[in-house]
Amino acid sequence: MKRLLSLALAASALVAATPGFAEELANQVMNGRYQAILGDCSGCHTVSGGKYLAGGEALVTPFGKLVPPNITPDKATGIGNWSYQDFRNAMTRGVGHDGKHLYPAMPYPNYSMIPDRDLKDLWTYLKTVTPVDRKVVANQLPFPFNQRVVMRGWNMINFTPKTFKADPDKSPEWNRGAYIVQGPGHCSACHSPKTLLGADKSSGAYTGAELQGWYAPNITGAKRRGIGDWSEDQIVRYLKTGTDGKTTASGPMAEAVTNSTSKMTDADLKSIAVYIKSLPASEPAAPKPLAADDARMTAGAAIYRDNCSACHGAGGEGAKNLFPALKGDAVLMQDSVAVPARAVLFGSKGAQTAAAPTRPGMPALGWRLNDTQVADVLSYVRNSWGNAGAPVAASDVATVRKQGR
Amino acid sequence: MTSLPLRSSRRAFLAGGVSLLVVGALSPVSAHSYSGQLPWLIDNTEPPVPVKPGGWYFFLPDEVALMSAICDRLIPADDLSPSGTDAGCVVFLDRQLAGPYGRAERLYMKGPFHPGLPTQGYQGPNTPAQRFRKGLAAIGKAVDAKTPGKKFTDWDAKDQDAFLTSLEKGDVKFGNGLDSKTFFAFMLENVMEGFFADPIYGGNKDMAGWKMIGFPGARYDYRAWVPQHNKPFTGAPISIAGSVQWGGKADK
Repeated sequence: MKRLLSLALAASALVAATPGFAEELANQVMNGRYQAILGDCSGCHTVSGGKYLAGGEALVTPFGKLVPPNITPDKATGIGNWSYQDFRNAMTRGVGHDGKHLYPAMPYPNYSMIPDRDLKDLWTYLKTVTPVDRKVVANQLPFPFNQRVVMRGWNMINFTPKTFKADPDKSPEWNRGAYIVQGPGHCSACHSPKTLLGADKSSGAYTGAELQGWYAPNITGAKRRGIGDWSEDQIVRYLKTGTDGKTTASGPMAEAVTNSTSKMTDADLKSIAVYIKSLPASEPAAPKPLAADDARMTAGAAIYRDNCSACHGAGGEGAKNLFPALKGDAVLMQDSVAVPARAVLFGSKGAQTAAAPTRPGMPALGWRLNDTQVADVLSYVRNSWGNAGAPVAASDVATVRKQGR
Repeated sequence: MTSLPLRSSRRAFLAGGVSLLVVGALSPVSAHSYSGQLPWLIDNTEPPVPVKPGGWYFFLPDEVALMSAICDRLIPADDLSPSGTDAGCVVFLDRQLAGPYGRAERLYMKGPFHPGLPTQGYQGPNTPAQRFRKGLAAIGKAVDAKTPGKKFTDWDAKDQDAFLTSLEKGDVKFGNGLDSKTFFAFMLENVMEGFFADPIYGGNKDMAGWKMIGFPGARYDYRAWVPQHNKPFTGAPISIAGSVQWGGKADK
């Protein structure tokens, strides 16, 4: 921010002779900064607790390891030598400086929707970020995936640059939401199932997907697994504060809330809510819940009573704003138990936002419960208080434990 | 021991104050201020380490035999509970005396050593480990003086009880700087701790002590039971390591 200001000041000093230009530049920088929030650049390109945009934590993809590079304007290790055209190619075509193909862990298929004006402002803003000298080896994939040229073939099959086309039959609010969700917000990057090639599947968009040991849940209008039962206000509150009062963002979503959605305008959050509520509901029918006298349920009930009920409530009702309600919780209803298993094994930490600075936390119980016990308590919460889900196997928990946090 | 001046001189006090100020100014700052978010790390748990069964870390073989015999008289096996030894009290004592407790790591252990008031507890120079070592040796000697060539373990329960009673009253003279009454009280307290402490520390096997008195374990929430009057609480006791009702023993 300081740097932003000094840039604006310097600009105004330089162009004092042409009034209006400095103001225009400041507006561009501010709009560019907002574009960086919409696109959540720092979510990938900043290490937790590290220097802003100086490169991020490794992404573990099914194809191997990719490290988000340094995108500060440092000439040696960042993008200080790039031109706007280089940047535009990277964002909209997946082709970086010196013609190297980017991997689509960088969501250029989504970013290609960003209109030129916003892209230019984003570029103007990125040049004001403090340059950081930090070398990042982005491509740590094994052969043959480390051959960037393979991305040419991938792009031929999976990628056509899109421009966002507004639907004239829908409200401007809906269209704005659709643009943010499909475009810069790149929600599909986590929430849409992937093809074998790692592209978004054309069917089942936003019905949830496994990612880096986490599971991004269904965000369609589905009642059981998705946000069909949520009001628009609930969604706005969740994206702004990390909780709608009943459920709490954790893991990568907590980061996305902290870095991105909590900084969006209320109008944009409302637009997102309007749009995702309109996503066609897609979920399988609820299974029959496990019988209460099933051995897994009785063990699970004892484990729940002794370890979980003090915060999550004897009836799974949770405590408003603090502890998630498990009764009716959509995250528990996904096919994957990765998220709840991680929470039990390793603990969890909610999002930290300006509106809700105290992040609620859950302690780790993996030292106290073995895999069978974790599986049983998960089976119990998935099949109690009206919830219904497939029972959890100890081997599923073992996989999550082995992966580590 | 040289006697220490009871009052520091004014000069010494001032000099001390100045040196404190200088040290304060030169030491690296160890305080942190946090803003924005709580410095709470995920999965940063440091759970207590359960005692490993098998072997002795502090007691010598003779001491194990003597301590077991004493535990079995202090907490005899009956229809209320297993004996102190079967409940793991000797293992508990062994691990505690071999660890920081035995070394009195949390206590101020430098002189001067004056006999304190009864309310002040033990004021002597011995660590708990030294007190047990010396106390058990003194008991062995006293037993040998009474019945030459025999050990406490050779006695029948009645004689053992009579001897322990005389210890409790302070009638046995240890002659090694320890007082038998104080030692007995100390030993009894530690044995009871073994009987009622969480099982992960080696004693209270299968929560026998807790089952005896109906303690449901370290639970933190009884709200659901508050309005249920005159109904027994049916949950099995839970220890830090868990509860039998949790199942899943097989892969633990």
